[in-house]
Amino acid sequence: MSDNSRVRVSIVGVVIVALFSTLLVRLWFLQSGPEDSLKVQAVLDSTSVIQTPTPRGEIKDRNGVVLVRDRASWAVTIDRDLSKRSSDKVIGQLAELLHLKIEQLRSQYLSDRQSLLQPAIVALDVSQPDRLEILQDPQNYPGVRVKALTVREYPRGSLAAQVLGYVGEVPSADLPRLKKLHYGPGDDIGLAGAEYAFESQLRGRPRRETISVDPTGAQVGEPVKIDTGAVGNSVYLTIDSNVQRAAEKALAEGILGARGLQNTDLASTGLVNFTAPAGSVVVLDAQDGSVAALASNPTYPLEDWVGGISTANYAAITNPASNFPLVNRATQGLYAPGSTFKLVTSLAMTKDRVRGIGDYYTDVGKFSVGGTTFRNAKDEQFGPVNLQQALTVSSDAYFYTVGNDFWNIWDRGDHRRGLGIQSEARDLGFGARTGIELDENDGRVPDPAWKSAYAHANYKTAKAKKENSVWYPGDNILSAVGQGDVVVTPLQLANAYAAFANGGTLWRPHIEDHVVDARGKVVATTKAKAIRHLTFDPNVSATILAGLQGSVDQSKGTANAAFQGFPFNLFPIAGKTGTAQVNGKGDTSLFAAIFTANGKQYVAVAVVEQAGFGAQTAAPIVRNIIESMTGQHPGIVHVIDANNNPHD
Amino acid sequence: MAASETSPLRHADPVLLALPFAISGLGLLMIYSSSRTRLARQGMSQFYYVERQSLALVLGVIAMAVVLAIDYRRIRDMWPLVYVAVLPLLIGVLVTGRTHKGAQSWFQVGPLQFQPSEITKVAVVVAVAGYCHHHRDDLDAGRLAVGLAIAGIAMALVFLQHDLGTTLVILVCSFAVLVVAGLRPVHIGVLVLIGVTLVGAAVVTGKVAAYRVDRIVGFLDQSSGSNKTATQQTQAEYSLQESKIAIVNGGFAGEGLFKGRQTNLSYVPEQHTDFIFTVVGEELGFFGGATLIGLYGLLVWRLWRTALLSSDFFGTLLAVGVLAIFAFQIFENIGMTMGIMPITGIPLPFMSYGGSAIITSFIAIGLVANVNMRRFS
Repeated sequence: MSDNSRVRVSIVGVVIVALFSTLLVRLWFLQSGPEDSLKVQAVLDSTSVIQTPTPRGEIKDRNGVVLVRDRASWAVTIDRDLSKRSSDKVIGQLAELLHLKIEQLRSQYLSDRQSLLQPAIVALDVSQPDRLEILQDPQNYPGVRVKALTVREYPRGSLAAQVLGYVGEVPSADLPRLKKLHYGPGDDIGLAGAEYAFESQLRGRPRRETISVDPTGAQVGEPVKIDTGAVGNSVYLTIDSNVQRAAEKALAEGILGARGLQNTDLASTGLVNFTAPAGSVVVLDAQDGSVAALASNPTYPLEDWVGGISTANYAAITNPASNFPLVNRATQGLYAPGSTFKLVTSLAMTKDRVRGIGDYYTDVGKFSVGGTTFRNAKDEQFGPVNLQQALTVSSDAYFYTVGNDFWNIWDRGDHRRGLGIQSEARDLGFGARTGIELDENDGRVPDPAWKSAYAHANYKTAKAKKENSVWYPGDNILSAVGQGDVVVTPLQLANAYAAFANGGTLWRPHIEDHVVDARGKVVATTKAKAIRHLTFDPNVSATILAGLQGSVDQSKGTANAAFQGFPFNLFPIAGKTGTAQVNGKGDTSLFAAIFTANGKQYVAVAVVEQAGFGAQTAAPIVRNIIESMTGQHPGIVHVIDANNNPHD
Repeated sequence: MAASETSPLRHADPVLLALPFAISGLGLLMIYSSSRTRLARQGMSQFYYVERQSLALVLGVIAMAVVLAIDYRRIRDMWPLVYVAVLPLLIGVLVTGRTHKGAQSWFQVGPLQFQPSEITKVAVVVAVAGYCHHHRDDLDAGRLAVGLAIAGIAMALVFLQHDLGTTLVILVCSFAVLVVAGLRPVHIGVLVLIGVTLVGAAVVTGKVAAYRVDRIVGFLDQSSGSNKTATQQTQAEYSLQESKIAIVNGGFAGEGLFKGRQTNLSYVPEQHTDFIFTVVGEELGFFGGATLIGLYGLLVWRLWRTALLSSDFFGTLLAVGVLAIFAFQIFENIGMTMGIMPITGIPLPFMSYGGSAIITSFIAIGLVANVNMRRFS
C-alpha cells in the first residue's frame, strides 16, 4: 500500500473517531442532564383509573340452550379527528384491504349510534394478516387502530329478538346517573329486553386498575391498585327455544296467510286483502306464570346491533314503514280484546248474580237501548242460549244485555256491583302492568271515573267536558264484549286466562328462571310470585270451560273451522276467539287457548292486527303452536277463508 | 471449512467475526422489548418480529459463509458483473415493487419482503473499489467521472424509490472509496463544492430558509414522496420528540430491561426498526448505550485495521467502503434518535428489525473478513 493511501485511510479513521466521540458526548448530555431527569420525575404524582370491561354473561333458554353469548372480535377503528380528506382516503384503503364496501365503512364511521368521543368501529372480525398490514404500515392508515372487543353473538340468530333485546353504548343522557356504577362513555349496556332487564347480572364487574400517570396521561410503572373485576353472570330464561321457534314460525306463517285472505268487511270497496302488518304470540305456563314463548312480528336482525348499529340499519328498523320491529307487541301492544274478554264478563255476571249459568237468553241477533242498536257479527241469530252456549257461539247479544244489566244496577246507585265487569277485569290483571321484567303497557279498563277524567283532560269547554263524562249504557255494553275503550296487552290476556285455568291464582309473569355465576353456581332462582288469588265457583268454572271447549270442538263453535281434524280426545283444548273492530282498520284477530302439553297446563294467545275474525288467523296460529308443543309435527299454518263460515 | 494448515481461516479475525453476533443478540432482545406489548395488543405473537429477525440472521450467516468461501480477488475481478446484477433488481422494484412507509423499494417474495437497495450499497462499494483497483495509478478526471457514474446510476435508481437514506449511504461510501483510491485534492474540493452548492440552493430557493439544516433533509425526503408532506412533517417532529424523551428517561443506568415507559407504551414510532436505539437508551441507559457504541467502535476499528492490512489495493478500498457504510449508518441512525442528525430511514446495523439490512450487513462483514484472512495468500 502506498504511503498516500495509508495517510488517507488514517484520515478516514480520524473522521470516524470524531463521529463516534460526538455520539458518546451527545448521549452523555442527554442522559445525565439533571434538569431533564428532574422534569420527568416531578410529574409522577397523579393517578388515573383504567377500566376494562369483563365478558358479559350469557343468556340461555330454560334448557340451557345458549341464545346470546360474548365472543372476542378484532375490530378496526378510525379516529374521529381526521379531516374529511384523510378519512375518505383511509376508508378507501380499508375497503380495499378488508374487501368491504366503501359505503358500508363510511356509514359505520358516520353512525351517530356510536360515541363521538371514541374512535369509530368500522369493521369487526378482522383477520390477522389484515391486522398485521395495518399495524406494519401506520403511515398508510393514519388514525386507524386495531382493538380487541368482545361483542354479542346470537347462536340462534334472531330468535326471540324482542325478548333478548340488544346492547349498545351507554346513552349520554344516562351517563351521570350511571357514573357511580362505573359506566363510562363508550361502555356497553343493555338497552332493551332481557339485556336491559338483567343488566346488573349480565354485566359483571369491570376490571379497574389505578395507575400513576405522567402529564401526557401515559402510565408510569406498575398499577397501584388492581380490582380484577368479575365476569358477568349467566341468566337462564323461562323461554323454551323450541316453543319460541314454533311460535315465531306459526306467527309469521299466519301473518303471511292472512295477507292472502280477502277482507269481506271491505267487499263493497272491491277485492281487498287483509294487510296483517303485525302480530304477537304469548305462551304462558298457567301453573306458575313462567313465559315459554313471547313472539312479536315484524322482528329484526339482532346481528345488526353488534359493534354499534349503522345509521342505515337503525333508520331501516325505526322507519314507520317497517312497522316498528323493535317493539315487543306481546307486552307493549295494546289491543281491544273483543270476545276474548267475555271470560271476564262471564265471571263477573255470575259472581254478582246478574245472570246465572243456567239462565237462557234469546238471541235475536241484535240489542237496542236508548236509540242505539248493537248487532251480532254478520247479524247472526242464535235463539235461546245459556252461558255455555253463548260462549261457544260467541253470542254478542247475550253479553250486550249482561253489560246493560250491570249498567242498570250502576244507574240505580249500586256502584260496586254495577261495575262488576270492571272490578273482575282488574282482579284478572287488566288495566295494570303484569310485572314481567320486560317493557310493557298498562292497558285500560274504562269506568265512569276514567271516562270523566279523560273528558276533562281532552275537551275544552265545560259543556263538552260534562257531556263526555257521562257513563252511558253503551260504554258498559261495549266493555262487556271487549270493545269500546277496553285495551289489553296480549300478555295480560294470557295471564287472565291462566288465572282462570289454574283455579284462581294470578301469577306475576316472568322470563327469568335462574342465574348462575361464572363457576356455574346458581346465585339466584326466580320463585313464582302470585299477584293475587281469586275464588271461582266450581260450577261456574266448569260451565265456562265447557263453553270454551265447545268453541273449538263443536260444529257451532266459533273456532271450529280452525280446528278441523284436531285430536281433541288426546289433547283437550278450551279456547276463545276474539274479533275486535278498530276504527278505520281491519279487525284484530285474537285467540286465547288453554291446553296441556308434557303434563303442564299452558295458555297460548295470538293477536294479529288487521287479520279478520279470530278464527281466521289467530286460531290457526295457536293450533299450530299447540300441535308443535304436543308432538304432532304440524306443517304450515292454514288460515281460514271467511267463506268457510267462521264468525265472531 | 475446517481450519487446516493451508486454510485462510487460520488468519481470520475472530473479533471481526464475533461482533456481528454479539450486536445481533442485543438487537433481538431490544426488538422483543420494543414490540412485545404492541404485538400483544394487536393479538399477535409477542415473538413475531423476533422470529422473523432470527430467520434473517440465519440467512445472513449462511450468506456470510458463502462470501468467505470465495476468494475476494475473484469477486474483485468480477466487479462489473456484481454491479450489473443489481441494476435489474433496482429497476424491477420501481416497476413492480410495493410501496412501504413512503418508499417504493420492496419486492414481495412470498411472506418476505426483499429490499434491493440494501444489497446495492455493497455492490456499489465492490464496483467502485474494483474499478479504482483496475485504474489504481492513473485516476484522472475522466476515470473519476466513470467512477462517479457507477455510483451515480445506482444512487439515482435508489433515489427514485424515494429512499433518500440509502442514497446518502451510497454517496458517502463511494466518496470514501474514491478518496482513498487517490482522488486528487482538487477533485475532492470540486466535489465538496458541488455538494455544498446543491444544499445551499435548496435552502435559498425553497420556502425552507427558516428551517434548521436537519429539517432540510427531512423536507427533501417528504417532497420526494407523493402526497403527504404535512402529515410526515409532524410525524418526523413527533418521532424525534418521543425518541429523545425515551433516551432522556433512561438516565445513566436505564429503567431496566422491559421496563421502559416510552417503550412499553409504544410511544416511539418505528421503534423496532429505525428507532431501536431508543430502547437501548431508555432501558439500558448511558451504560448500555455507550457499550453499544463501544461495540460498534470495536467493529469499525477492525474494519479500519483490515484496510491497512490488506494485501492488495482492492482489499483496502473494499474495507474502507464497508467501513464508511457502517460508520455513516451508525452515526446517522443514533444521531437521529438523539436529535443531532435529520430523520431518514436508515437502519442501525445488526440492531434494527429488517431482513434485507441484516443479510446485507453480514455479507459486508464477510467481504472484509475475507480480505482480512487472505492477507497472506
